[in-house]
Amino acid sequence: MTDPIIMDMGIVALAGALATIAGAAEDLESDVGSQSNPNSQVQLAAQMNFPHRIFNKAISGEPVSYGLFCAAGGTMASVLIAKEMSVIFAIAIGAFIAALVLGLFSLTAHLGRCASQKRFKQPIYMDMVTGHIPVIMGHGFIAVFCIVSFSYIMDHLMGHPFPLPLLALLWGITAGAIGSSTGDVHYGAEREFQQQEFGAGLNAAFSGNIVRKAESGLRNGMDNVWACAKFGGPLTGLALGLTVFLDNWRSTIFSGMDPVPGSINAIITGLIIVLILILANRLVEVKARKAYGPYKEETGGVAA
Amino acid sequence: MIDPITTIVLITLGGVLVGLGVHFIPVGGAPAAMAQATGVGTGTVQLAAGAGLTGLISAGFMYNELATSTGLTNSNMILVLASGAVGAMIMITVTMFIGQLIYVYGVGVPPVSAKVKKDPITGDVQDIYVSKGTEGHGIPTVSFVSGTIGGLLGGLGGSLIYIQLMNIGGDHTNSGIVALAGIFATGVFYVNSVIASYNIGGTIEGFHDPKFKRVPKAIVSCLIASLLCAIIAVPIMGGVA
Repeated sequence: MTDPIIMDMGIVALAGALATIAGAAEDLESDVGSQSNPNSQVQLAAQMNFPHRIFNKAISGEPVSYGLFCAAGGTMASVLIAKEMSVIFAIAIGAFIAALVLGLFSLTAHLGRCASQKRFKQPIYMDMVTGHIPVIMGHGFIAVFCIVSFSYIMDHLMGHPFPLPLLALLWGITAGAIGSSTGDVHYGAEREFQQQEFGAGLNAAFSGNIVRKAESGLRNGMDNVWACAKFGGPLTGLALGLTVFLDNWRSTIFSGMDPVPGSINAIITGLIIVLILILANRLVEVKARKAYGPYKEETGGVAA
Repeated sequence: MIDPITTIVLITLGGVLVGLGVHFIPVGGAPAAMAQATGVGTGTVQLAAGAGLTGLISAGFMYNELATSTGLTNSNMILVLASGAVGAMIMITVTMFIGQLIYVYGVGVPPVSAKVKKDPITGDVQDIYVSKGTEGHGIPTVSFVSGTIGGLLGGLGGSLIYIQLMNIGGDHTNSGIVALAGIFATGVFYVNSVIASYNIGGTIEGFHDPKFKRVPKAIVSCLIASLLCAIIAVPIMGGVA
């Protein structure tokens, strides 16, 4: 007979895998549509006399918007599951409704933002609206489907006390917070300013001067997601996946013990994970300082 | 029988811990997303809420494991609080670490603080590593440790609020009570994060940042706001029970 802990660990691994896909899709959606902090440069570009073809939407902060979409998807899935629909179909329909809401908000946000920049001669390209919104909705669908799915796993298989819509809301907020904190930096600090020398730092004086030409033709949101899918997106997925996996792993691994000693072990394990991450961060810091060196001499002169 | 005064005091304390924790989290907002400021490239409220709510999920799970029909014993309450704090710390350290990888390998800049000449923890020289025209970039060790403390306090505060709300609700097997306690704790968390965010004014590097001296003002504001939330919470949760 299979040891229950093996099944439990499999479930935790599945939740982690779903969270990894969700994190990557969430970040890539925000790159196609240009949401969150880097969008300040897209918004600023037209005002600095650099009209562009980058999709411009910033519905709200990513955590809040993904909290909304995931809560909408989770609520719909919860209702359909209560009506005895198949779980996969219920979550898929919930994610589809959330994707529709995302598409609607994207449309109004983009048109409203571009229309308000008429005096800066920023055009509204209708081919961009029809080309980008389905891609935004597609990425949003994957993200919401995966987030609601692992919320369902936590709720029904791991026995979490929070109901599905609340878990989906909370994980949606966390997914948005992670996407906004990690992958967006790759889009904002690297992809938007690729004309600057790599590693030179981004002088605040370059604000608004975003890259507007693509590898072929004029750059748009699809070109941005093509580049960000190679680094920022997967790393965002890794961040959400690790958060979901490590947090659940530390409590599941001791689930065979009595609740009190099991909880103490889970807390100690969590603290060890945190300590390892602090040390890993220090190693990366030391490596970066050695590899890149200072920008100035210690005396104050400019380094070569 | 739950003493409402103690409950109100503890919910208020939870709110103050959240407000205090937000000040420790290194966030640089939009400038940090462009590697023009030290800290994580997102908003204060967003990151604090993401971490604190992950802690709330951990605390909710642990509460159900340890609660009996009479609620939680004091020693078990400490375990639930610690679990929430550790959950939030895991989320924030993972996020800061992955963010750091993107700054170092995706953008090509070393982590550095522009607010201090030497990192108070490692003693590394900082100012010469700041690139031209920026206010620092990445997450140096002092900011990373500060962020971890922020996660700890945020998770602790959020869990404390949740435990108190569940104590008023009384029945941890009733999903209506659990849901209301979870959403109310989220609400109190957001109230205090936003207040702290106004105090910070967009960017802060951690406890070594001069802006950290503004903490007393935030504690007073969070105390008042959380007290109001706590006074409302008691009849609402009691009404469900």
